[in-house]
Amino acid sequence: MDRLVDLVIAAVLLAGLYATMAYGLGLIYGVLRIVNLNHGGMIMAGAYAAWYLHTALGLDPYLALLLVSVAAFFVGILTYRLLVRRLPRGAAGGVQSLLLLFGVWLILRNAAYLLFSGNDQTLRTTYSTRAIAIGNSLVSLNRIAVFGVAIVILIVLHLLLTRTYVGKAIRAVAQNPDSCTLVGIPVERIYALTFGLGTALAAAAGLLGATLFPFNPSFGAAELLKSFVVVVLGGLGSVAGTAIAALILATVEVFAILVIPAYLTAAVGFVLLVLVLVIRPGGLFGQRVLG
Amino acid sequence: MKGWLPSWVRPRAAIGLLAACVVLALVPIFNTAIYIHNLLTLTFVGIAAALAWNWLGGYLGQVSFGHAAMFGIGGFVAARVQLSLGMPMLLAWLVGALVAGAFSLVWGHPTLRLRGPYFSIATIGVGEATRLVCTYWDWFTGGSSGLSLPMKSGLKYELYWYGIVLAALALAASYALRRSPMGLSLLAIKSDVDAAGDVGVSPTRLQDLVLFLSGATMGICGSFYASFFSYIEPGDMFGFDRSISWVLMGVIGGIGTIFGPALGAIIFVFVKENLIASYPQLYLGLYGTLLVLVILFEPLGLTGLFLRLVRRARPDLSVTGMAAED
Repeated sequence: MDRLVDLVIAAVLLAGLYATMAYGLGLIYGVLRIVNLNHGGMIMAGAYAAWYLHTALGLDPYLALLLVSVAAFFVGILTYRLLVRRLPRGAAGGVQSLLLLFGVWLILRNAAYLLFSGNDQTLRTTYSTRAIAIGNSLVSLNRIAVFGVAIVILIVLHLLLTRTYVGKAIRAVAQNPDSCTLVGIPVERIYALTFGLGTALAAAAGLLGATLFPFNPSFGAAELLKSFVVVVLGGLGSVAGTAIAALILATVEVFAILVIPAYLTAAVGFVLLVLVLVIRPGGLFGQRVLG
Repeated sequence: MKGWLPSWVRPRAAIGLLAACVVLALVPIFNTAIYIHNLLTLTFVGIAAALAWNWLGGYLGQVSFGHAAMFGIGGFVAARVQLSLGMPMLLAWLVGALVAGAFSLVWGHPTLRLRGPYFSIATIGVGEATRLVCTYWDWFTGGSSGLSLPMKSGLKYELYWYGIVLAALALAASYALRRSPMGLSLLAIKSDVDAAGDVGVSPTRLQDLVLFLSGATMGICGSFYASFFSYIEPGDMFGFDRSISWVLMGVIGGIGTIFGPALGAIIFVFVKENLIASYPQLYLGLYGTLLVLVILFEPLGLTGLFLRLVRRARPDLSVTGMAAED
């Protein structure tokens, strides 16, 4: 019974990270109809940024969060302005954007490899090993912090999208870019902004992930896939849908460890993805556009 | 000429392919350098694999980032049946191809059925998951120490001509998949799945067929590779860089064109051998930069460049990219 409680707590805490990770991917896909394959690359970049700031400057990862997110936001805007914007929209643009952003990801991976070698790195803080007791279970303080930060990020995002002018503009562009041009919303700027936001979320998730798991330059590939699973499960952009989907994925993964060998857990998310696609192609909660 | 060729085959193309095969088959008479001989053999496998990738990525617009999964499955199945059952080589290749094709259907059928990028995203997971599972599956792949096939003297040299046949078949299939009435159906599916369905094209069946063909061809390439090196191990066969190399061959040569990926494969193999092999720590970045540059400036790769030159030289001829441009 205690074991069960442990696993449930672990799943819930993991779900926060997954939701943050997935929301960035879903946001860009919902507004630009582009799957940002560089999402994995930015998750990796966020992890290394946190690690570098901590080892070189002694900056606490949670303090670095804002810095890293803002930097990633501008990286995202640059990526959009310099690269993504030049692609045609529609079917041809779909394939091209996949290939282009995949190329950017490869470049980032190589850069990380050259700068920091291919070895696994871990981010160790003074509180990495602290734990507090919840009932009979000991829970890592860091995991709780990651969960808390993720929840705050999601709430801020939800408020941004539903309560502010920019947020409403983003949702409007997601629904119909042509009408937005007619009423004077600067669609191109909204695209750039959305791409920046999605990229910032990826880096933030990478930073949070780095405090929990070891990482190397290929970190982010599995995370990209998990994000995609959550987006498909939860529908686009709905914060509640994303949260529930992240919880489902985290629960399935955590409990899978009980029944299958550890090396197979990488395939769990994928099997879940295929199952969902076959059973409910529109996602568990139908396709809703941002909000 | 007429009568024994289907009406959609240009006699010129058929003769050209045959002539190229004959010339290449005679090359070893004049060329005694074993290094060049082996490099050419590997180029033929590269051509077949790049074309097979293009059937999905180009003709259907479903880019795969994990084709090494089928390559590896084909290679290991072929090696396994040769080792355990003593099957003759060609039969083993066939088994490898069938298993690889079937495997591609298992994960590809559900993801291809859906519109959008589901398939491409899934391939990222498939490549990685297959590699992991096969690395731990000792009985099948020998684990990380791999499998060794018994060496047969002269086989490596002979495989050159098998390679020519393999590449020629892949080229013929590429031609047929584009020019035949079925090719037109594929084009319709790529442009608009719904509209294609409305005019009586069955997207699911055709997509599955192309997927199977692509997977099976990858399987043969993997089996070929296993026989060629007579030693294979999962880390290499299922390697991520392998999957990207086919993406790159297709992109360099021209996605969705008939011959482009073959050209891309030739260039890629030689560039890799001479340049990238000397900078192993830079290959990912080089691949990435190439991808970005080609997609930004010439999305149809070398074929697009060629068409552009032709258009400039002869503006009176209205040359189009063989419907490869959407």
